[in-house]
Amino acid sequence: MGMLRKKGPRISSGRAHITYSMQRYWFGDVTESGCIRAEGDAPALAARVSTLATGMEGFVPLRWEQAEECGAVKDRAGYLARLREVTSFLAEQKIQDWYARGDAVLIQKVRMLEDVDRAANLVAERFQEWDLALHPGPRDEPREAAPRRALEQARGRAEGARASVIASVDGLALARAALVQEVSASAGEILPNCTALVGGLVAARLLSAAGSLDALARLPAASLQVLGARAALFAHLRTGSPPPKHGILYQHHRVHNAPRGRRGKVARTLAARLAIAARLDRYRGTRDEEFLKKADEAVRRAGRGT
Amino acid sequence: MIWINGVLVSPGDRSLYGERMLRGHRVWDPYRSKFAALAHLGYGVDLPPSLRVLYLGAAHGTTVSHIADYVECVYAVEIAPRPMQDLLSLARQRGNIVSIMGDATRPEEYAPLLERVDLLYQDVASPCQAEIASAHRVFLKEGGLLLLMVKTRSIDTTADPDEVTRGVIEEISPSYRLKAVVPLDPYHRDHRALVCEGVK
Repeated sequence: MGMLRKKGPRISSGRAHITYSMQRYWFGDVTESGCIRAEGDAPALAARVSTLATGMEGFVPLRWEQAEECGAVKDRAGYLARLREVTSFLAEQKIQDWYARGDAVLIQKVRMLEDVDRAANLVAERFQEWDLALHPGPRDEPREAAPRRALEQARGRAEGARASVIASVDGLALARAALVQEVSASAGEILPNCTALVGGLVAARLLSAAGSLDALARLPAASLQVLGARAALFAHLRTGSPPPKHGILYQHHRVHNAPRGRRGKVARTLAARLAIAARLDRYRGTRDEEFLKKADEAVRRAGRGT
Repeated sequence: MIWINGVLVSPGDRSLYGERMLRGHRVWDPYRSKFAALAHLGYGVDLPPSLRVLYLGAAHGTTVSHIADYVECVYAVEIAPRPMQDLLSLARQRGNIVSIMGDATRPEEYAPLLERVDLLYQDVASPCQAEIASAHRVFLKEGGLLLLMVKTRSIDTTADPDEVTRGVIEEISPSYRLKAVVPLDPYHRDHRALVCEGVK
């Protein structure tokens, strides 16, 4: 559609150069001989605007009076009202499209999972402190060893507020189990290749850290590798401390089970394959068995160090 | 701009996003709005009722709503869907906010919707802030003003903010003449406001 705006020959008028060209605006097309008004209601005008994609070279911004001369609006107030109808419609439509793709909902699921974990841990730790105040005697083990131990031991014996706190933590555990299932299932649909490589949870967490499937598919492998290691990465950039080898990817068993000296290599290899997988997921949306086989082999090789 | 006992406000009969009210006016917090910070630092920009404004990086629309209280109309461009939802609900309560969902690095996508404005306000978190400002020069009237909020951390996290700012000033110099560089401390760290005029 961008081809429609033709640039004519430059006519020299002695003082200035006049370029013959049709300018395409939301309310119609303006040429030097007049204006062709775009017909239709706000949705029709919005649809027209999405197809204009005018190049910026030779573009002359509209004067609102042109819309008046064109017969598209009666006055300035009418101009703004009509334009607002069109732009709001366009924005609403883009928002609908955005959420319809499913990655936005998956991201909310993952973040809810993270919040539920955080909440459960927070309450368990407080419960333990409360327990220490109730029973200040000596302990068999350091308290960091078992953050949930106090809560488990009090189960069935606690009363009042403590009993209802335990019930809440149990409720959160149920929510967590349901969330894990839903996250894995949605990740398998929205990120089939990434999920095949690193599992649904890790794939979904990477998506959440990237912000959207579009953003994930645009990330270079080097960024994927350290996604979620923000603090370490910026400490490295500012102070020159060793760069992080992995972020969220550490949660994948191939990475954290690898021998210490090879973890970086495994993470790097995995990230390189993930960058491809993310693009497959974004632009194709189906599993690529051949790619997955090769990727898996590459990661295995990196883990063996051969 | 309206000040009540040293507090910057905008005319509006009720709070829109939870801001305090002061004698029937909406309090404009310099810690939330770089435009307000600029005013508190002595570089307030006049906002007469006839003014037309193009605002790039409108976000949730807090600053947009205050500017809209003063001027004729604000074209508010924002790319992210979540803040756009807030901006849209805000625009429903104000007849003079034109909310445009678009990417400021691709002005050609919304150019057919814009007219020339008196004030171009840019506050986007992008590494190519200078390019964006230059590309929007065409939408600024003769004698119009550019307020460019340079987020130095968005351009380079490790470089010296002053150096980054110098780079931006140089890059926009074919399109804009610099009038003032204003560090926005203590209201916004690592931000510099560039007050510029369009070059003919």
